[in-house]
Amino acid sequence: MPAQPIPAQFKRETHTINGVKTVVLTAGHGEPLVFLHGAGIWHGIHFALPWTEKFRVIVPFHPGFGESGDDPAMNDMHDYVMHYLDLFDALGIGKARLVGFSLGGWLAAKFATEHGERVERLVLVGPAGLRGKERPQGDVLSLPPEQIPSLLVSDFDVIKPYLPDNPKDLDFMGERYREGGTLARLLWEHPYDTKLPRYLHRLTMPTLLVWGEEDKLLPVQHAALWRQHLPRAEFKTFKGAGHLVLDEKPEAVDAVTRFLS
Amino acid sequence: MAGRARFDFIHFMHYVHLPENQKEFPSLWVDFPNKYFNPEKGYSLYQRYLSELVLADKLGFDAIVVNEHHNTAYSMMPAPNLIAASLIPQVSNAKICVWGTPPNLEYPNRLAEEYAMLDVLSQGRLEVAFPLGTGMEYWANPINPSTARARYRESIDIILQAWTQDGPTKYYGDFYTYRYLNPWPRPVQKPHPPCYIVGTGSPETIDIAAQLGFGYASVFVTKQRARELNEKLRRTAAEHGHHIRPEQLPLQVITYVAETEQKAREEGIDHIRYFFEDALRTTPTFLAPPGYLSVEQLKMRAALADKLHGKFNFDNVNESFFVAVGTADQVVEQLEQWGEQMGTNHFVILGAAGNMPNWKVVKNLNLIAQDVIPRVRVGAAYERRVAAE
Repeated sequence: MPAQPIPAQFKRETHTINGVKTVVLTAGHGEPLVFLHGAGIWHGIHFALPWTEKFRVIVPFHPGFGESGDDPAMNDMHDYVMHYLDLFDALGIGKARLVGFSLGGWLAAKFATEHGERVERLVLVGPAGLRGKERPQGDVLSLPPEQIPSLLVSDFDVIKPYLPDNPKDLDFMGERYREGGTLARLLWEHPYDTKLPRYLHRLTMPTLLVWGEEDKLLPVQHAALWRQHLPRAEFKTFKGAGHLVLDEKPEAVDAVTRFLS
Repeated sequence: MAGRARFDFIHFMHYVHLPENQKEFPSLWVDFPNKYFNPEKGYSLYQRYLSELVLADKLGFDAIVVNEHHNTAYSMMPAPNLIAASLIPQVSNAKICVWGTPPNLEYPNRLAEEYAMLDVLSQGRLEVAFPLGTGMEYWANPINPSTARARYRESIDIILQAWTQDGPTKYYGDFYTYRYLNPWPRPVQKPHPPCYIVGTGSPETIDIAAQLGFGYASVFVTKQRARELNEKLRRTAAEHGHHIRPEQLPLQVITYVAETEQKAREEGIDHIRYFFEDALRTTPTFLAPPGYLSVEQLKMRAALADKLHGKFNFDNVNESFFVAVGTADQVVEQLEQWGEQMGTNHFVILGAAGNMPNWKVVKNLNLIAQDVIPRVRVGAAYERRVAAE
């Protein structure tokens, strides 16, 4: 049996946002910290526990991922920005510390360019979304699913407990295929946003960019693209960490905590 | 309707000159390097394959069938309309079936135009089928697999509107906007050339065929499933007020006829093996791009994958699929039995299976034309059964 990805400290709330079942995990007290996950959250959120000591940590499942429902009509990133605008309102969040990882980093950056007044501080962890001309980014849509986990980490043991023993486990395959379908709706045509760089200058809130130095999916060189458009952002990289830098390096989680405090 | 059955000859035009290490490639589709395509050998294969299709017409086959696939040694026909156009002047009697271009992979007005051209050029001998396209086509073309079904449906609507309504008309859809849908030329056949849906039996494709009263050709499904699908189509179409005729249910059969059963097996089986083991070889990811299948379908197919893509075994293939290898007598009996079970009198003969050399194809087509086609009678029994119901 794979390990339980969600720590017991987190409570589940179910909201209906514009008709879409949206499951939100919450733990801790204090100012709200919203974490936007990547293109899959099966590896869990144990890394987020230290944040719950200082903040009210809110981890929503994106529509089409994990425990939230599907809405095939949500077929571009802007639909997700609007979804989070609605969800912030539903949860009574005026302004939040926003942390986005990978696909969620792209989403967090886009949300913040459009609704900067709702974002106190912004953390982008190995964000997707920009087109790397020299080093093409890992295109998860075309990777055979069984190859993806090992590309996410530097140390495979970190995620191994969350994977089924049988690599052909039909339920696990089905769930990942469902999330792949969600991803295809969002970014089959363009696995990046050509307009995003045009508006990144709107990220005037304090911003931290975090990257794992051994990231095999979005190599750390990719950070240069972001830094070009975010000259004032703080930038931290972590040795011995792959794409899932928060899962692999408690130091990275601490750095985020310090930045947000 | 009772009487002689309809016989089509389908050609897949495989590129068969594969490198010696071809078995090391998990897929002959999508990413199989195109450096292995040799244009000189390609020229010879085109000449040969076209001659086989022309021969089928001369021997009295009722139709010749071509289809479309991309990025693959499986097929040298990414643009089947070009093949159909080059066949028309050489084929005097047979219908020309393009089964076909996935309508969601091409601008629908353009497809309506090209099919109308073929219908006019052939003086009304065109038949078309609308496939959704295999998963592999979505890795080769820029269309989002998660929109495949919706775009497919809209494209068919646009093509039918272009063919059946006097233009110019307008169309404001989810994917396409036409301010002046007014394609020239228009088809000879009214209201339009006979149409089929090609599918692997998903509920969506069956429903479309039922709503529109189109024929349905199921491909790569087992015998049992094909039979269920035909019954489901007849039932669902009736709910929409359409009577599905036996001829609208083409049944694809891998066929090889020789003097004795022993000889037919000796001459035919290796090429059928090539068809399943090599030509069709691909990966689960290529078969099911994200968003192309429902999660239920994906799980169903993943559970079956080991069964279908295991090591080739002729008896297993023979058991599961429509394969008729034997003497003319045996093949006639087999086809009549399947025709009866499937409620069809329309056979699509895959008579050039895999890497079969020209001499075997010629021999096979001749024996089928002489000793099988004139003798198969299934319509009468089917009509009696329908009348009795």
